[in-house]
Amino acid sequence: MATSGAAEILLRYDDDQDRQHFETLFASDFVIHAFATDQGALDYLPSAATIPTAIVLLPNRADDYLESSLLARARDHHPRILKILIGDAIALNLLVKLLDHQLVDRCFEQPVNPDVIRSHVLTAALTREGQTFSPDTSEAHEGPKPAILIVDDEPTATRYLSRQLERMQDEFRVLSAISAEEAQLVLQKDSDVAVVMTDQRMPGMHGKELLDELRQSHPTIVRILTSAWGEVDVAMDAVNEGRIFRYQKKPWNAAELLSLFRKALVQHRTLVSARDRSRSIAEQQFAELRQQRRARLLEHLNERVDGFTGEPITADFLDALATVRTLPAQPPHLRASRETALEHDLVRDFAGMVGRQLSTLQPGHVHGIQNRQAFDQALANALENPAGTSETQTPLMALCQALATLMKASGLERSALELTRTESGLMVASASPLHMYSHLLAPITRLSRPLLEQQSALLMLFVSTRLLAGDIDVTGGDQCLRLSLHLPARAD
Amino acid sequence: MSSIESPSAGQGRLMASGQRRLRLYVTMGQRLLRDSLLFQILLHDEVELVGESETGVATLNRLKRATPSVLLIEENLQDNDGLTIAEHALAVNPSLSVLLISDTPVSSGRMAIYLEAGIKAVVSKDQPVQELIKTLFYIRNGQVYVGNWQQEPAPAAMLAYQALSGREREVAQLMASRLPVRDIAGRLGVSCKTVHSYKDRIFVKLGFERLPELILFMQRHQHGAAE
Repeated sequence: MATSGAAEILLRYDDDQDRQHFETLFASDFVIHAFATDQGALDYLPSAATIPTAIVLLPNRADDYLESSLLARARDHHPRILKILIGDAIALNLLVKLLDHQLVDRCFEQPVNPDVIRSHVLTAALTREGQTFSPDTSEAHEGPKPAILIVDDEPTATRYLSRQLERMQDEFRVLSAISAEEAQLVLQKDSDVAVVMTDQRMPGMHGKELLDELRQSHPTIVRILTSAWGEVDVAMDAVNEGRIFRYQKKPWNAAELLSLFRKALVQHRTLVSARDRSRSIAEQQFAELRQQRRARLLEHLNERVDGFTGEPITADFLDALATVRTLPAQPPHLRASRETALEHDLVRDFAGMVGRQLSTLQPGHVHGIQNRQAFDQALANALENPAGTSETQTPLMALCQALATLMKASGLERSALELTRTESGLMVASASPLHMYSHLLAPITRLSRPLLEQQSALLMLFVSTRLLAGDIDVTGGDQCLRLSLHLPARAD
Repeated sequence: MSSIESPSAGQGRLMASGQRRLRLYVTMGQRLLRDSLLFQILLHDEVELVGESETGVATLNRLKRATPSVLLIEENLQDNDGLTIAEHALAVNPSLSVLLISDTPVSSGRMAIYLEAGIKAVVSKDQPVQELIKTLFYIRNGQVYVGNWQQEPAPAAMLAYQALSGREREVAQLMASRLPVRDIAGRLGVSCKTVHSYKDRIFVKLGFERLPELILFMQRHQHGAAE
């Protein structure tokens, strides 16, 4: 939900002074609707013109909020609303319980850092983070058994627990590691880890840091922090930053953990199926967008480009691009294509750039190149003067200009081109692949000048090679392409 | 605004709990801008510069060996689109925190797309350097940070300056003329310790952490360059 206006906050306060202070801090950032009772807030919610981005609670006694009907209602009916609790002092037990009942998403102690609160709310307003999928309660799928990884620097306790858990069930394997570093090695080897429960205090990397990293590198692994120490600040950071699933206090109880791990496995399956669904939807929808984009590019370029050379060059060029593999389509690419002027601007700007380049190109075919020296000279000129000139270009000059642009985009030097004399002329080939991280038919989040320049250079390479009666061969790879040109020698 | 926790204060707490250093990689086309920025950023001793490049291709080539935790990259690079390069860097190393520097402020629609693409924060070239440094620390553990990027920042330092006492202003002016503490003490007829405590109070009140910030603020103010 990209908000056009300011994000809205539903504020539930007990003390009027707290409300005033909160409004002083955030009135310029958010529209705040304040209520002194749960009922007032509950009455407001169904009638609200826009669903608030966040509910912020400023309780006198944070414990009372375990029974809050407002929080329960938000959890059950408005899963996208971010629930933030700000208390004078938060007890660890309370935090653990709130997390168990999924009543709050973020938790802070006074005095708060307004930057951080603002960032959490703005981020929630901008992203679809709150988007939830119904839990996947289907039985474990076919395939290898999922694994729970327990990370703790006391191997005896872990070993005892693992054996107990193994005896109690047949749904998951139990793995262990004695440090965060070892856990990372386990994760590299075993791709079926679904849940990680880590101790906080360990030599080397701490549990919280490990979970922070997992959140980025393995977003579908469910994260649980455990500790014998009641460090509430660590627990709060783990909730706010690490987005942990649960905080498990020590000592462990096998029966309790079994039920926790079962819940965590359901959560894992939900995350995996949500990810797979969003991936396949993105790919499917982008395939359609790609077709449309291709059709529009052809429509806008056909006449100008193919008219110039008398051959169906545009289609050849687009076919060559399609062989260059880029990163798979993701939701933000779709969003950029649909919610911004990207698709329109892409075709317009590209056609415009190609049109300008064609207008400086000497029309008519020139059969072949004079000799290798002529090519070398033209290439040296193009590399020295990368901006190009507005004067009329011969096909050879245009060809070298295009090569120079493509090499610059790949960070390559002149030596990366291999020139071979053949019986009928000259072979020009790229010794190492040319980088192409994105292209006209790839998922794009943003239109940039280097992209347009690189793409039009490749098209101009097709055009100028044909004008010289040569052949061009492009083979795509992973984010790169190999080029080879054959330029016939001039007959005279 | 006394409840604002400065990034470096939060820093101290995080460092104590076994915090990793901030391993920074910087990709900016222009040397002059890159140097100016790095002079500021490297004043913070938790930051370690592990690599820098002018181009996107060079960044992707070197990134794996440099193992940075934060990549600071310009949106507009000479050879490739900075955002495309950032997306590829994230595909290789998903735990990298990317801070994108845009030429102009981005719209909320665009910001949403960037965040969804895995960018942790965007700072525009219109914003003060302090905002960039603050953001750098907020995103170091993989957090997203969104400041109130579309609003004009309140002239907080200016208001705070007006609230300084006469003596504090006098000390601020002398410090901004780069006079050593001992000379300031001599000139005002007080002890060095007193000057130091004035100095601390001035920094806290104005929200500055380092002398260069005070010098820049005072000189801008005195010569009327700041509105």
